[in-house]
Amino acid sequence: MPSLGANTVAILIALGSFPVSLGLTRFFMYWNSRHGIIGIDVHKLNRPKVPEMVGAAVPITLILFAAIYTLTGGASSIALLAYSLVVGLAALVGAADDRLKMRGIFKPVLTLLCGLPLLILGLAFPGEIYASTLHVPLFGSYHLPVIYPLTILVAVSVTSNTVNMLDPLNGSMAGGISIVAGGLLIGSLLIGAGSMPIFLYASLMFSMLGFLYYNRFPARAFAGNVGQLSIGASIGALAILGKTEIASIVAIFPNIQNSFFFLSRIRRFTEHRELTSKPTKLLPDGKLADSEDPRAPLTLVRTLLVGRPATENEVVSTIWMLFLTSTSLAVITLLLTGVTL
Amino acid sequence: MNNRAIGYELVVFVTQWGLMLLGFGILTKFVAQLNLLNPSLSLDLYFDAAVKALIALVLSVAWLFIWDRQVRLYFHKRGR
Repeated sequence: MPSLGANTVAILIALGSFPVSLGLTRFFMYWNSRHGIIGIDVHKLNRPKVPEMVGAAVPITLILFAAIYTLTGGASSIALLAYSLVVGLAALVGAADDRLKMRGIFKPVLTLLCGLPLLILGLAFPGEIYASTLHVPLFGSYHLPVIYPLTILVAVSVTSNTVNMLDPLNGSMAGGISIVAGGLLIGSLLIGAGSMPIFLYASLMFSMLGFLYYNRFPARAFAGNVGQLSIGASIGALAILGKTEIASIVAIFPNIQNSFFFLSRIRRFTEHRELTSKPTKLLPDGKLADSEDPRAPLTLVRTLLVGRPATENEVVSTIWMLFLTSTSLAVITLLLTGVTL
Repeated sequence: MNNRAIGYELVVFVTQWGLMLLGFGILTKFVAQLNLLNPSLSLDLYFDAAVKALIALVLSVAWLFIWDRQVRLYFHKRGR
C-alpha cells in the first residue's frame, strides 16, 4: 500500500481534533450561555434553552489542525491555506447570519464568495489545488478547463447551504457529516489517495464527533449557522482538494433531497424561522408528526414522519441510517472511479 | 427506526445514483467529445464550454425531476 506511514501519521495527528473540538465545544457552551447566545429547542415539550453558535468549535479546530499539519510538513501549505480560508470565511458568514439574522438570499450569495480562495490560489499555483479533470466512475475522465474553476464557487456554496438546511433535530447534521467524512476517509484510504485529503477527512470526522458529544439528543449545544456553513464548506473544499467530487455529491444525497424539496415548494431562499407553514408538528406526547399542511415543504424529516409519528431520537437514527446508505454508495463510487468500461 | 422509510429512500438513492453515473457517462462519452465550434478561435473555447455546460444543466434538471417524482410517489401520496 503506498505511503502507509504518511497516512498513519496524518490520521494520528487528526485524532487530536477530537479532544480539542470537545474542549472548545464545552468552552463555547459556557461562554455563549453567559453572554445570552441561546436558542430554544422547539422539538421538546418543555422547550429548553440551549447555547447557540457552539458549532464555532469545529471550524476553529479544523483551521488549527490544518496549521499543525502544515508545520509538520505533511502536505502543501498552499492547499491547506486555501482550505482554511474557505472554512474560515464560511464561518464568518455563518456568524454574521447568526448575529444579524440576514435574509435567506444572503447566505447562498455570500457563500459563493467563500470558494474564492480555492479559485484564486488554484489559478496562482496551477496543480496545487485542482486539476480541471473530472474522473467519472466507469466512463473515464474529461478535461474542463473553463467550467471546472467556475464550479468551485458553486460547489462550496451548494455544500455549505445544503448542510445548513438539514440540521433541524439534535445531532442530525453532526452525526450525518461524521458518517460522510468517515466514509470518504475510508474510500480515500482504499483508493490510495494522498495523505492530505486523508488528514482533512479524518480531522473533519474527529472534530464532528467532538461536537456531536454535546449536540446529540438531548442537545446541550446547537451548531448555529457558524458551524453548519463552515462544515458544509469544508465538505465542498475537500471534494475539490481530494478529487472526490462525484463521491461527495453521492454522500450528501440526504442533504440534496432535503434542500431540493424545500426549494421546489417554497421557490425562494428563505430561513426556516420565516416559514409560515411548518413541515412537522410536536404532538402532546412529545412525538413529532407530519404537519399535513399542503403548503409546507416536503423536507427529509417530513418524509420520515408521513403516516407515522416518531420520537426525535428515532427520526435522527433514521437520518443517520440514510447517511450511512448514501455514504456506502459514495465509497462504491470512489472505488469505481478507477474502473473504465 | 422507520424501516419502511429507509427502504423507500434506499430505492430512491440507488436509482438516483445509477442515473447520476449514467448522466456523467453521457457527458464523458458523448458531450465532452463534441466539437461544436472551431477551438482554434479563443472565444469559441468559451462558447463551446457554455453549450456543454448548458447540456449538463439540462441533464441535471431532468435528474432532479425524476428524483422529485419518485419521492412524491413513495411518500407524498401515501400521506394523503
